[in-house]
Amino acid sequence: MAAVPQLLISTVLLGGIYALIAVGLTLIFGIMRVVNFAHGEFLMLGMYLAFWAFALWGLDPYVVLWAALPLFFLAGLGVYALVIRGVVHSSHNVQIFTTVGLSIVLQNAALVLWTGDFRFVRPWYGAVVLRIGDAAFNLSQVVAFLVAVLLALGLFVFMTRTHAGRVMRATAQDAEAATLMGIDTDRVYRLAFAIGIACVGVAGVLVSPLYSVYPTAGLQFVLLAYVVVVLGGLGDMVGALLGSLIVAGVEVVGSYVFGAAWKEVIYFVLFIAVLVFRPAGLFGQRGAESLGA
Amino acid sequence: MRRQALAVVFFGAAAAAPLVVRDAYFLDSLILILMWGATSAAWNLAGGYAGQVSLGHSAFFGIGAYAAALLATRYDQSPWLGMLVGAVVATLAGLVIGYLSNRLKGPYFALATIAFSQVLLILASRWRAFTSGSEGIPVPFRPGFATLGFTSKTAWVYLTWALAMALFLAERYLEVSRTGYRLAGVREDEDAAEALGIPTRRLKVAAIALSAALTSVCGTLWAQYVGFVDPFYVFSVDLSVKFSLSAIIGGLGTAMGPFVGSLLITTLETYLRATFSGIHGSLVGIYLVIYGALLIVLVRFLPQGFVGWLAERARGHRHARA
Repeated sequence: MAAVPQLLISTVLLGGIYALIAVGLTLIFGIMRVVNFAHGEFLMLGMYLAFWAFALWGLDPYVVLWAALPLFFLAGLGVYALVIRGVVHSSHNVQIFTTVGLSIVLQNAALVLWTGDFRFVRPWYGAVVLRIGDAAFNLSQVVAFLVAVLLALGLFVFMTRTHAGRVMRATAQDAEAATLMGIDTDRVYRLAFAIGIACVGVAGVLVSPLYSVYPTAGLQFVLLAYVVVVLGGLGDMVGALLGSLIVAGVEVVGSYVFGAAWKEVIYFVLFIAVLVFRPAGLFGQRGAESLGA
Repeated sequence: MRRQALAVVFFGAAAAAPLVVRDAYFLDSLILILMWGATSAAWNLAGGYAGQVSLGHSAFFGIGAYAAALLATRYDQSPWLGMLVGAVVATLAGLVIGYLSNRLKGPYFALATIAFSQVLLILASRWRAFTSGSEGIPVPFRPGFATLGFTSKTAWVYLTWALAMALFLAERYLEVSRTGYRLAGVREDEDAAEALGIPTRRLKVAAIALSAALTSVCGTLWAQYVGFVDPFYVFSVDLSVKFSLSAIIGGLGTAMGPFVGSLLITTLETYLRATFSGIHGSLVGIYLVIYGALLIVLVRFLPQGFVGWLAERARGHRHARA
């Protein structure tokens, strides 16, 4: 029982990071109905950005963070214009393979440019451990969590309180009706994609002090993000936050009980179970899984 | 008729090549083209004909590879038995996946299959006592037909050729048979097919199970040919993507598509690898960058694939003449 506070704190901290990765994915899906199979690669690029800024110029990841936000937003705009725009209205197959192709390109471009070596970002606070009672946690985890919460809150306010946010939600609900109301859906999609990529890029910078950086680093996180997003209901932002906490909880408790080696099995089984029994997610509406199919 | 001409040229050239060429490097490429083509054709049954695009077919490939390798190393059994066991296990897994996936479409199905292959990857790489864990299993080489051990590349060419041909003929038959038309109905509009009394569920599950079994057979052959089973390779997402790519590039749901795709991709891969590895070691990955970019462009501008495009052109000509 002594481990309970530690498990709780670890769950919340990890959940915050997962949420930031998943929020971008669910935003892109919710509004564009495109599942971005290349999402993890932008996380990997964020991690590399942090690594190189640190290795070449000694820049702290928390400084790079502020540059990463606009940088990845622009990258998102560029990728949307070049790759995604042409397939927004295509069939599932075309969308799946376009984003899979994008993922192959980015992963291997990283491999060619920066080799397959594992890299580490080691700022001074990397080894700082905070203690509250019996529970101990890493300082970078706390910072990552706080920034993630801030960004998620900002996004939430943007989506509910601003005109642009309302326009985006209207498009998500009914793209045709939105067009008839004079909304330029192409602009909405572009914005949604860029925001989603900015979120995951920032997440990459944030997790760089915690995990090793290598070309396929995105894969493990993105599979996780899919678990989160499907649990919360694809396209549901609040659901994604709750899903992150659930997945983080499963991971933390699972590794505590069964050992770290088996935690992935637990959440993949959970994932398959959710897909089978509640494909619309724990909180989503039934039938959402065949939307647009 | 043009589609058949393509098949005759492809399979004819593949069968004649070992009689003319003795170069081991060339024959190795030919074997890989046939083998990946056959695997992609197996994938095509589910992804192309039934319209259930899986990104986790490496799960079944790995089942076949492991079944033969484990039976040979632990129980001293013939790989042919391993092939059978693998196919049975893969069929069962395919039935379960197929049944569960009945509710899932498009990206949801793709995600579920990725998760399934990842579970098998973790099992194979962590269950050290049984699977030797992440070290993988060297497949023992015992010469002879009964033990699937051939030193001659020519024998491998004909073995993979036979498998590829069988898959091609099966899918060709599917295109003109009643079952094939029903399956196309399920793929194009499930509700309409259901309304016409077609057992859509059963058809989809059967297609996925059959596809799984055949993918497993390819996995067994591949493991015997290469002589080593590495869990991180046979269960990887990359491999699943590779199976689907050949079919997509060649033409989804066409009998010849996977082979044309495999020919293009494997040739490109071999060529780019040879070109770039000579210049600089780390540039090896560049062929994958080109391959990914090509995929994006092809899917966008030629979504029906090369074979589909040829067929459309052929139809166009006939209309023009008539």
